[in-house]
Amino acid sequence: MSRETILLVEDNPDEAELALLGFGEIDGDYDIQLVPNGEEALDFLFARGQHADRPRERKPDLVILDIDLPRVNGFEVLKQLRQDPEYRYTPVVILTTSDEQSDILRGYQLGVNSYLCKPVDFESFADLLQQVSRYWLKSNTFPKDGPS
Amino acid sequence: MPELPTPLRSLRALKTPGIGQRLLFQIILFSSLITLVATAFQLYTDYQRDVGLIKTRMDDIEGSYLGSISASLWNLDIQQLQLQLDGIAQLPDIKSVTVQESPENVTSPLRISRGKTGGNNVITRHYPIVHHLSSGSRQIGTLTVQASLSQVYARLQEKVVVILLSQGVKTFLVSLFILYIVYRMITAHLARISERVSRFEISQPQPPLTLDRSPPEQPDELDHVVNAFNTLSRNLRQAYEHMQEVNQALAQDIIARRQAEEEVKHLNAVLEQRVRQRTAELEAANRELASFCYSVSHDLRAPLRRIEGFRRILNDSYHTKLDDKGRHYLDRIAAGTREMADMIDSFLRLSRATQGELNVEIVDLSASVQRIFAEYRERDPHRKVELVINDGISAPVDRHLFNMLLSNLLDNAWKYSEHCDHAVIRFGFKEEDGERIYYLADNGDGFDMQYADRLFAPFSRLHSHSEFDGVGIGLATVQRIINRHGGRIWAESRPGEGAIFYFTLWERNTDREQGNHLVGRGQPG
Repeated sequence: MSRETILLVEDNPDEAELALLGFGEIDGDYDIQLVPNGEEALDFLFARGQHADRPRERKPDLVILDIDLPRVNGFEVLKQLRQDPEYRYTPVVILTTSDEQSDILRGYQLGVNSYLCKPVDFESFADLLQQVSRYWLKSNTFPKDGPS
Repeated sequence: MPELPTPLRSLRALKTPGIGQRLLFQIILFSSLITLVATAFQLYTDYQRDVGLIKTRMDDIEGSYLGSISASLWNLDIQQLQLQLDGIAQLPDIKSVTVQESPENVTSPLRISRGKTGGNNVITRHYPIVHHLSSGSRQIGTLTVQASLSQVYARLQEKVVVILLSQGVKTFLVSLFILYIVYRMITAHLARISERVSRFEISQPQPPLTLDRSPPEQPDELDHVVNAFNTLSRNLRQAYEHMQEVNQALAQDIIARRQAEEEVKHLNAVLEQRVRQRTAELEAANRELASFCYSVSHDLRAPLRRIEGFRRILNDSYHTKLDDKGRHYLDRIAAGTREMADMIDSFLRLSRATQGELNVEIVDLSASVQRIFAEYRERDPHRKVELVINDGISAPVDRHLFNMLLSNLLDNAWKYSEHCDHAVIRFGFKEEDGERIYYLADNGDGFDMQYADRLFAPFSRLHSHSEFDGVGIGLATVQRIINRHGGRIWAESRPGEGAIFYFTLWERNTDREQGNHLVGRGQPG
């Protein structure tokens, strides 16, 4: 069984590094694809542009999205992703510093599976990443025509 | 009304029911009565006199005729007898005279008569005709004289007519005269007085009332009336003038007051306008500040996370490569980031308490306090704190904000009663002047009242850091929330004797919250 692919969309390199470190600390061995903006995230999702040669098996099994992204923001990515039947059931988790109600609402309206605020404490952050990955990739059951 | 000559006017006065008419009626009545009585008396005396005259005449007949008739009858001198009877019959008032011979001695007694006998209203007298002989007196017949009273009655009747007529005319004339006099002396003046009184106009200065007559030597009743009227009108006039002055003063007062009121109204309007403008500006500034605060807090949180993250990695992965000093610095960084994170969280709560719509519903505050208290108890199981609370204290508030508020107050109470052996936290309300004042009290360390005004300012702490945790923004948040609920909050305390926080709700409607007071029935808790 191939490793599950996680698409991590994070524009801030420090945040990205921390997130990767966080993933590094968890037990699961995931294939993590980091992209710095929404445009590239869409390219990777739909295997086009600079990610046109993305192998089929690297289709993301979990998308972790920040909202404030350059070029195409997180909501737009979420919207386009959900419009594609291929990603209809793919778990998408928004991981952001904003706990503004309007953002949370918007996220759920666009079909996000989970909305998480980044904890200040790194340990908690790493914990959260672990929990989220395990939950969506191991515990959760999807419909048959869902993500492989 | 055209002026009529005085007598005519007095006649006119007769037609209208008034003193004149009544007076005339009374006079005529009384005068007629007197006339009647006097007439009756006079008629009676006249009658007596006339009847007396007739009787005297009859007495005279006895004296002057009876002797000669006796002689004529004795001698049977019929002719003489007839002459004598004629003589009697011609006397005034004598109606008939008859000589009747006594029937005792003769077979056919002689009877001679003049005039008609019988009828009413007659006085009849019988005279015995006595003839004196030497042997003595002997009645030889009877003379009967009848006198008629009809003439007497006729005369009396005539007299009645004359008397009544003359009396009537006299009464009428006297009445007219009296009426005229009364009119001249009283009624005319009364009419004048009455006309003056009814024309009396208090706002116009009036000439004194005078009577149209030459004044009598001694002032009479009319003069008294006139004087009384003049005094009255003078007094009235004075009172009126005084009243006018007072009125004018009052009117000026009112005008002044109205002007003052206008001015106040104008100033108020200006002030209100200014207040509205300032409030709007302030609200705009507040909103801006709040959103600024929010975004700054957010933006601060992100790099803080990174610092903390990298510190953590340093700590975990490079722990062995650092000496004790290095590890100590890492701990210091950790403490600093934690404090800053707390501060940012408080900031966010404060800005959230200021922003957003109020969603007012009936909230069971007792249940909220109990729930929050339970959380604290769970967090700090070793603390012994007693909660004294009345069940079912509800109020129309924003549930979310009030949870924040009660958390902050309870947090305070919990924190500052830490050094207490038997801490008691009380929550309830009291009614004062119809106003409900809620309170949350503890028996903890309390504070010095001279710092009471600093209590609700952000970042002001009355206790040093080492004593208690916290960034000192909780009470500022509490005050914001109470403000948004149109209430006041204040605290009373003494060092070492605990603190009581009082707050009220909805004393005023805040402009921003208007229209948002529809109270929903939420589930308590």
